Amino acid sequence: MTRASTMARSLFATPLAAFLTVASGVFMAWLGWHALSWLVLQAIWPWQPAELCAKRSGLCWPFVIEKARLILFGTYPFDQQWRALAASLLLMALAVLTGFQMIGRTRLRPVTFFAVWIAGLAVAVVMLGGGVPGLRPVPSVFWNGLPILLFLAIASIAGAFPVGVLLALARDRDSYPVIRNLATIYIETARGVPMLTVIFVGVFVLPLTLPPGTSVAPVSAVLVALIFFHGAYFAEDLRGGLQSLPQGQRDAAKALGLGYWRSVGLVLLPQAITRSLPSLLNSIIGAYKDTSLVVVVGIHDLVSTARMSFNDPDWRSHALEAYALVGIWFFLSCAFLSAIGRRLHAQREKDPLQAS
Amino acid sequence: MRLLAFTAACAATVISAGTALAGPVLDDIKSSDSLICLVNPNSPGFSVPDSQGVFQGFNTDFCRMAAAAILGDAEKADIRGIGFSDSMKTLVARGAHMASRSITATGTRDADAGMVFVATTFYDGQGFMVPTSLNVNSATELGGATVCAEDGSTTLLNIADWFGDRNISYRVENIADKTARLEAFFSGKCDVYASDVSALNSDRLLAENPDDFKILPEVISAEPLTLVTQPDQELEAAVFWAFQVMLNADMFGITSENVDSIVADLDSQPKSVRRLFAEDSATADMAAKLGLPQDWAYQVIKQVGAYSQVFDRHLGKGTPFNVDRLATQNAPSGKGGLMYAFPIR
Repeated sequence: MTRASTMARSLFATPLAAFLTVASGVFMAWLGWHALSWLVLQAIWPWQPAELCAKRSGLCWPFVIEKARLILFGTYPFDQQWRALAASLLLMALAVLTGFQMIGRTRLRPVTFFAVWIAGLAVAVVMLGGGVPGLRPVPSVFWNGLPILLFLAIASIAGAFPVGVLLALARDRDSYPVIRNLATIYIETARGVPMLTVIFVGVFVLPLTLPPGTSVAPVSAVLVALIFFHGAYFAEDLRGGLQSLPQGQRDAAKALGLGYWRSVGLVLLPQAITRSLPSLLNSIIGAYKDTSLVVVVGIHDLVSTARMSFNDPDWRSHALEAYALVGIWFFLSCAFLSAIGRRLHAQREKDPLQAS
Repeated sequence: MRLLAFTAACAATVISAGTALAGPVLDDIKSSDSLICLVNPNSPGFSVPDSQGVFQGFNTDFCRMAAAAILGDAEKADIRGIGFSDSMKTLVARGAHMASRSITATGTRDADAGMVFVATTFYDGQGFMVPTSLNVNSATELGGATVCAEDGSTTLLNIADWFGDRNISYRVENIADKTARLEAFFSGKCDVYASDVSALNSDRLLAENPDDFKILPEVISAEPLTLVTQPDQELEAAVFWAFQVMLNADMFGITSENVDSIVADLDSQPKSVRRLFAEDSATADMAAKLGLPQDWAYQVIKQVGAYSQVFDRHLGKGTPFNVDRLATQNAPSGKGGLMYAFPIR
């Protein structure tokens, strides 16, 4: 039997299957036609005059070209936008390096890897904020678009990881009951509250807890809130890894005379992290996409700058182009994360015990 | 003893004239050589970043006006886009010097410490837009209609007051996102779209065929959109009178284009114009007392323009909003509007 006939058989096996095949085929054709019409047939190409955009309904390339920098960097001072670009590239490089480290393409020692992270984040902040010789200060209200999205996502995930490790250890079965219960209460509370609430608390309540007269930028307040929110999710992912370790591992570590921190650091945690990587990655993708919610407290991430781009009085009917651009960015970056995830799954299937 | 007191007073006058001691906020603006001004980050025509990320619009020009008057350079306005409640908090926490973001002056807001209303730059009011196919000519005929309005805004409170007073029943469709809200209205999901009249005018033009929609004559609320500063008498005076200079310029037909030729030939100008620009006259006196650049009035007109210029540049004919200023309450008082130019002398 040829492949084609097998396919025809499965597609038209019963009247219902035949109907579903035809219906979804028609729907796909309709969708495809509209996509083709918008992307190609009705599109206004970059070399065509922008005035045509008002007359045709397709993708308006002149708008995309005119507004690309605004969508990427927002109100960051125009002549300094190379700094925003440099910070974005650096943050992306950190993310790629971490992905490669997870799937074993790069094999930096943990200490080196940790140092690269700290240095990378610090350089990105200095690039954005300036204030050192040669870079004039740019307040954080001007960190818009891509850099602020990447910075909040990456810094909050990086900060949440150690918080998650500590919480997971605190909730582990070897922990003291008081600590375990406190950790449980914290994790369940954080997971039971919507992220929007957490962001609002970060921006409006957190500053009230500071001594009067001090003020905290919304970016820092949101960052702290995100770290403690994502920390709870990471803790549960890691706890799954810790609990799946055979008791023999703990006993063996004790038998070797290792104290608590050394047995955790040398024996339990490395295995637990490896085992929980797929679910950690799942939480990371969620955390990354949720970062865009900071727009509700007036931090202008990519979604917000996209809205600015089509609120320019001269370009008010191009919301679709702006949102499509943002959609493509999120699609590509999430595709990278899931590619890492697929590699991890594949490696674990090959070698369930020693995948790294 | 009296002689001593007199001498001390003279000495004090000399000192204060030498340093032109201003209020603490105005001093802060001058010592940092930059004026932090908060605007709405996303308000077409009023303040929205252009393709270079620089805020442009009606409201941003009043930030530039203040910077031109106080620092002599409109470009020294550090314009930052921040949401409404954040910008109020930032101002109260002294994180900014002023805000120009279509804030309605109300009694309770003014009673709050930490900020003051200074000058009303735009008189607005809330109105209704309906499809012409609805055949409605007055808002009193809107019984049973579905109203699209922004969730959590004063718009909804005003609607509740107005319809409640007249015992008209209505339904509200809350849609937070403006694009989605307009789309819902244009596609017929709601019968009425409620917003400030200035916004209605520009939103109507976003419809595929604007003639299918019209704005009802009723204006159900008063919205004096007003500049806000940190409390500081000298700063308030500088901002208020800079705005009055822009209104006076309209009265005397002075614009950013002809101001140079007028200043070059001050002797042949009317006395009231001389008082605006002459080195030995009213504005120069004010400059010495408030510690402003001696030619601050000229700088405001030269760099920002008269009020009508600012209005027409961002909202008037030739812009997508196509607002006829003289048909609104923002016309000069002599032409039926509310823009009354205070005397500068």
